[in-house]
Amino acid sequence: MKKLILSAFAGLALSSMAMADYPNKDIQGIIQWGAGGSTDTVMRSVAPHAEKVLGADIILTNRPGGVGAIATKFVNAKKADGYTLLMGAENPQMYKVLGLADIDYSDMIPINVMARGIPMLVAQNDAPFNTMQEMIDYIKANPGTVKVGSTGQGGLASIVMAMIESEVDLDVTTVPYNGDGPALTALQGGAIDVMPAVLGAAVQHIKAGRMKAITLVDNQQNAVLPEVAPITETLPSLEKYLPYGPFFGVFVKQGTPDDAVAKLTEAFATGAEAEDFKALMETRGYGIMNLSGQPAVDFLDNYRSVSSWLVHDAGFAKHSPEEFNIPRP
Amino acid sequence: MEALNYFALSWLSPELLALTALGTFLGIYVGAIPGLSVTMAVSILISFTFSWDVNNALCLMVGIFMGGVYGGSRTAILLNIPGAPSAIATALDGYPLAKKGLAGEAIGLSTVMSVIGGFVGIIVLALAAPTISEFAITFQPRDYLLLAILGLTLVGSLSSGSLAKGLFAGALGVLVGTVGLDPLTAEERFTFGVIELWDGINVIAAMIGLFGVSEALHQLHHLDKAIIKQKITRIIPPWADIRKYFPLSLQSSFIGVIIGALPGTGGDIAALMAYDQAKRSTKKPDVPFGHGAKEGLIAPEAANNAAVGGAFIPMLTLGIPGDAVTAVFIGALFIHGLNPGPLLLVEQPHMFWFTVGNLTLANIFVLIFGLTGIRIFSKLVECPKGVMIPLIMLLSVVGAYAINNSVIDIWWMLAFGILGYFMRLYNYPVGPVILGVILSKLMDENWRRAILSERGDMGQFFANLFSSPLSCVLFAAIVLALFTQTPLWTKTLKPRLFR
Repeated sequence: MKKLILSAFAGLALSSMAMADYPNKDIQGIIQWGAGGSTDTVMRSVAPHAEKVLGADIILTNRPGGVGAIATKFVNAKKADGYTLLMGAENPQMYKVLGLADIDYSDMIPINVMARGIPMLVAQNDAPFNTMQEMIDYIKANPGTVKVGSTGQGGLASIVMAMIESEVDLDVTTVPYNGDGPALTALQGGAIDVMPAVLGAAVQHIKAGRMKAITLVDNQQNAVLPEVAPITETLPSLEKYLPYGPFFGVFVKQGTPDDAVAKLTEAFATGAEAEDFKALMETRGYGIMNLSGQPAVDFLDNYRSVSSWLVHDAGFAKHSPEEFNIPRP
Repeated sequence: MEALNYFALSWLSPELLALTALGTFLGIYVGAIPGLSVTMAVSILISFTFSWDVNNALCLMVGIFMGGVYGGSRTAILLNIPGAPSAIATALDGYPLAKKGLAGEAIGLSTVMSVIGGFVGIIVLALAAPTISEFAITFQPRDYLLLAILGLTLVGSLSSGSLAKGLFAGALGVLVGTVGLDPLTAEERFTFGVIELWDGINVIAAMIGLFGVSEALHQLHHLDKAIIKQKITRIIPPWADIRKYFPLSLQSSFIGVIIGALPGTGGDIAALMAYDQAKRSTKKPDVPFGHGAKEGLIAPEAANNAAVGGAFIPMLTLGIPGDAVTAVFIGALFIHGLNPGPLLLVEQPHMFWFTVGNLTLANIFVLIFGLTGIRIFSKLVECPKGVMIPLIMLLSVVGAYAINNSVIDIWWMLAFGILGYFMRLYNYPVGPVILGVILSKLMDENWRRAILSERGDMGQFFANLFSSPLSCVLFAAIVLALFTQTPLWTKTLKPRLFR
């Protein structure tokens, strides 16, 4: 009998020790976007590396919908125990001003901001301009004739255009598409003339000569396309918004225990350092960031303030960034 | 010669051969279960095959794709639940055949025709990929709009009996398709502030409800009816039948491969359009369409498998996905360190022939796996109702949940099931509802893109429409499709011209 009680106690002690040791069961990874999208691809290639460090399985589930808000709300409705991860893209940072949801990444703990896309402007081959300055001059001389693709208000393309239009007045015709993939297809078919897209989505088409690069929306040149000038050469005042770009990150709910956050941070930092992950990001034209802790928070805050104020000034925000104490960039 | 080497790569390596076979086999079952989609299966495989060699991973994925598109017809024929939207048209004539005790023959015929369609798709991919992809990307928003309107004329084909009831069902579908965040401005439409409605009502949930659940509910009326004995003597269709229907399957396959190659449309629209075309071009079917016409089974089956080859055309030549599954393939190629883009053909020419070889191999496996085990499957229809009805309900619930791992889809599925039950009771066709949902988005987005490009100028819109040869052809097709349904044509002109 004594033995039994003892072993029961021992078992209890063991199990409570195991409880303290995060992780002791499978972790759920909730992907904000659908199967096969860029967020999905990135998360599915980083997760196997993180699993090795964690010593637990990460079960990946796609919960697409509501520009990512469904997954974001889902993770925030779960316990803050570190067993539910939000694997998302940049979208939540605009939820508040666009009136889509009342939470964003500032209400969560960033585990790792892994990579950032570099926005650029591309044009169809027949377009009568080759550089940013020529494009501005042409649009000024022919108002309303240039068709610019977009991915909806609040999408990357709309923010890049708002950024440019905060400096020069451009009269263009905006045609929305569901994502930069379909828009770049339309560009090749001649349905639109110019598209703001991420470098990774456009680079192969540029190299094959199917479209031409106008400018990089960044403050420096890029090794992938060294001959393309950054936009700050034409519009130096845009410096204050840059570097800017869509990103991929892993987040947990506010209130998650420190040891779980530390363990997850270590795991995903290792994952973002893995050779094949870095190679994948490079071929897709994303810059590795591998930010965690305060630097990640700073980057996220800058992203939020730049986008929020740009859409506010461009007139398509539902709420003023001031309502949420978002400072001007 | 080198091309042939790469073509035969997966045929000669026992490992690749086995993986393609395994993929095709799994694909048939994934495709047959409604709610489990090929897109989902292929993207799960991305993380599963992460550390594999790229060729092995591709063999498995291509097999799943080919098998999955074919598999959708299984449950459509046996249970009236299409495994995927591309098998909706299959259910229209396939299920009536099963009810006549000809399930085995229907599956056999659909298998052979799927394989023929698959081969046509592959041949077109191998011979004309660059030309077709250049053609496909010239489709402007205006042309997609015209294509969608042409699709809407299918309502006539999908509704046996009253056209008015068919139009009502189609309009209901278009309305259902507008629910959710506006695709262009992210404005909420008919969402009543419910976040789950932002993405609209899932078309697959609606499909499972309208077809599967309503069928289960409907069968409750016939509990006392004797079970139909399935004839399973003839499974492999006789040579004479294949020869007789060969021209039709070719015609349907070409529709499939072109619609499949367009980046904005896929196998679902291809299958429905081929069904419609078969109905128009078949002079005297042995059995009327909708009551088990073999033509109505052949056309969509050939078309949706031909669309597989079609979807690879822009993907392999330009790095532009032809449908949702090839979009996942592009992601997979990236992960394996390849650059799927317009340079793929130049930098990695072997990828093209390797994929063509794989598709051919998978298509052969579809024939083998498709024609075996039919006897057991046809027995499924002979199940007592007390087993069958709960089985359909269970499959429907699981399928609806599997779409997005979301309980809300189960509720939608049930609601559409009840709606479908009453629609059947009062002789409203359910097919046009799904057609409406599928086309609603295509029409909505492209109409607005087209008119935004003209800055809201209707005159300019029509001026450009009539100055583009492609738009003119599509416009003429719509006019013809509508005109041939008017009494002026059917009663007066047609008898005189085609006596």
